[in-house]
Amino acid sequence: MQNDVRLFFTKTGLAKYISHLDLMRCMSRAVKRAGIPLWYTEGFNPHLFMTFARPLSLGQESLCEVVDVRLVGEMTFKDIQTRLNETLPKDITVVSVQKPVHKPSEITFADYEVRLFCDIPSALKAYMEKAFSKEQIIVLKKAKQGRRKIDKEMDIKPNVLRFDAATAENAVCLDLRLTAGDQTNINPTLLLSALTDGFDGEIQNTDILKKHILLENGEPFC
Amino acid sequence: MLTKKQEQLFNKVQKPARYTGGEVNSVIKDKTSVKFRYAFCFPDNYEIGMSHLGMKILYSLVNAREDAWCERVFAPWTDMEEEMRKADVPLFALESGDSLSEFDMIGFTLQYELSYSNVLNMLDLGKIPLRSRDRQSLTPIVVGGGPCACNPEPLADFFDIFLPGEGEEVTNELIDLLMVHKEKGSSKLEFLRDAAKIEGVYVPAFYDVSYNADGTISAVTPKEGAPAKVKKRIISDLDKVYYPEKFVVPYIDIVHDRAVAEVFRGCIRGCRFCQAGFIYRPIREKSSDTVNRQAKCLCDTTGYDEVSLCSLSTSDYSGIEQLIPQMFSWALPEKINVSLPSLRVDNFSEELMEELKKVRKSGLTFAPEAGTQRLRDAINKNVTEEEVLSTAAQAFRGGWTAVKLYFMMGLPTETLDDIAGIAELAQKVVNEFYKNPDKPKGKGVTVSISVASFVPKPFTPFQWEPQDTMEQLVAKQKYLMENVHTHKIQVSWHQSQTSFLEGVFARGDRKLCDVIEAAWRKGCKFDGWDEYFRFDKWMEAFEACGVDPAFYSNRRREFSEILPWDHLDYGIRKEFLIEENQKAHESVTTPNCRQKCAACGAARLNGGKCDAK
Repeated sequence: MQNDVRLFFTKTGLAKYISHLDLMRCMSRAVKRAGIPLWYTEGFNPHLFMTFARPLSLGQESLCEVVDVRLVGEMTFKDIQTRLNETLPKDITVVSVQKPVHKPSEITFADYEVRLFCDIPSALKAYMEKAFSKEQIIVLKKAKQGRRKIDKEMDIKPNVLRFDAATAENAVCLDLRLTAGDQTNINPTLLLSALTDGFDGEIQNTDILKKHILLENGEPFC
Repeated sequence: MLTKKQEQLFNKVQKPARYTGGEVNSVIKDKTSVKFRYAFCFPDNYEIGMSHLGMKILYSLVNAREDAWCERVFAPWTDMEEEMRKADVPLFALESGDSLSEFDMIGFTLQYELSYSNVLNMLDLGKIPLRSRDRQSLTPIVVGGGPCACNPEPLADFFDIFLPGEGEEVTNELIDLLMVHKEKGSSKLEFLRDAAKIEGVYVPAFYDVSYNADGTISAVTPKEGAPAKVKKRIISDLDKVYYPEKFVVPYIDIVHDRAVAEVFRGCIRGCRFCQAGFIYRPIREKSSDTVNRQAKCLCDTTGYDEVSLCSLSTSDYSGIEQLIPQMFSWALPEKINVSLPSLRVDNFSEELMEELKKVRKSGLTFAPEAGTQRLRDAINKNVTEEEVLSTAAQAFRGGWTAVKLYFMMGLPTETLDDIAGIAELAQKVVNEFYKNPDKPKGKGVTVSISVASFVPKPFTPFQWEPQDTMEQLVAKQKYLMENVHTHKIQVSWHQSQTSFLEGVFARGDRKLCDVIEAAWRKGCKFDGWDEYFRFDKWMEAFEACGVDPAFYSNRRREFSEILPWDHLDYGIRKEFLIEENQKAHESVTTPNCRQKCAACGAARLNGGKCDAK
């Protein structure tokens, strides 16, 4: 569509506790407060038309969230960004407004930065690397069989394109590239729980930050 | 700011956004630059508390002052409480993350009796000693307001101050006074003595209650210069009173997630069972321009796509015919829905009906409250069967296929005929549907009847009446089911045990303080939630304290008995309530306040002014 507009925004800090459903409500109210002329669906129950490229799991932060909306009046991209940032909660920030180039279905990979806080990072790092070195990483993934919801066993090793581990003072830091997209999306928590399964130390906290979303050829989604 | 320790809990609980704060329009101040910190507590979960208009008003009102900071505190859900107790994180306010003990004043709004155990639980989670006498320092001062403050006696030992009536003025006066005493370094007693001089401030410790051998009250004696009767506070002019320009906009879905414009206080109807209909008198209206302006402003600052008018009976608002077109003129183009709860069926004009058709159809609900005209007359619910049926017929012609009817059982003077009448009235509504020649093909009708158990409340004409026992209520529920002959009528009711407990606290006295603490120690909390309500624990607590709950709920009081709330003055004359009670037993109605002033006495609180006249 000619008037489609793509917003890139970050969702960090306490905003990571806003669920996807709540985020949609939050966005649509911010748009209303900002007075941006966007298209509403024309039903008995009109609501703001917006399409999120990928939902983000509760508790994860992101630098690369994407929502598409449709402009019905005159307003510059710069204005849209400024006004939205005035009305959005402080941990959600629009970083760019542009014409959409790719379709959300073209998203293939996502990069993550992960920190697992623990007492002896070197031990955890070694444990995870050993688990990762196995030929297969079998996880239980929620799937649908017709209408039924089932847990399916799946090897996700082929879905992990990058796994770099390092230690910091009180944490293991991971640099991950995982498949993303409608069919083959791998939530990093799935990989992490498979790799830490059976570790006998305590993991106090896990920070997950989504950094980039990429196309099949490795180019950034835009 | 939240500490790492607090944040770590969020990953372990459901709906962490209940505890994070940081919502749009929440107020963050520099705590070193304010002189006074107020924790406004709602003794239920975030979703319920955030829906409460009174909290929104007082939060913004206090935060409009530069020298004070008001923050929100809700009862953490049980999963969060468990994690907090495990990690030794005290109850904290959403804005600063500071624990309750750091505040100067802790205010609880007492909206329903079944939240009392949560009050104790929240104080304990905040590491505040439960009993007023065990809190010897000047701050924090624990205050309580809201409708249950009209008989706060069951909580008297836990609170330093109750604020009967409306809070907009007295809250600021109390803050000012406490600030002065903080600077002077006064003792708590010195502050309370001064506070008791403010109109609408009730210091329970300044009243000695003595009892007769039969457990009734023999005398309530004021001391420390406190007034013999504490008069509730009211706001004289609603067009001038503070109203928030912003609401905190929650992330998670709350119960009432919308802008709210208050249109008037009080109610002209005088239904004899209804506490709200008496304790908020006299009637005071806002002008339609004020309501319209405040509604528009809130929609602009919140981004809400729905605004609701708030009062006890919105169609009784004398400015409704002007207000609706005024609001629709800006709301509809902005795709904002105007919702009008508490509409009565009997006083709509044709024009208003036409206007209302423009907005989304919501459910259709009637509240006949009783099954027969005789009983409706006794409770002064002036709705006739023809009115209900003709409106239902009109709704069915307009395409509705589901109707909800609200009733009560256990009302004074009720007989089994009245119970059967509930089923009969519902059946007549079903019949109306099939009388409609244009009824949609292949679609049936559903008439849902919800039957609450009547709980006698203070400051109503039924304050002397015995509540039906749980056995009587269960028998009546069974009888009702025997009289419903079709699946098109769906029946639901309240648990008789919760109604019983509500009845005990509604008209309870100070002897119940020990019971509430004992029940809380046995693990009672969230009593309003079926999944946490532990009736057996409550009964154990009554027994352990040697208190018979039936004394409060199932006993008929003499008109001459000293009632636990008699030293609070809500404007309503006791003689008026007695007359109303006697008329109820004769099934004689009282015209509504606009037809004829019943001289209830509340107008004297407002210099003789009442907008019903």
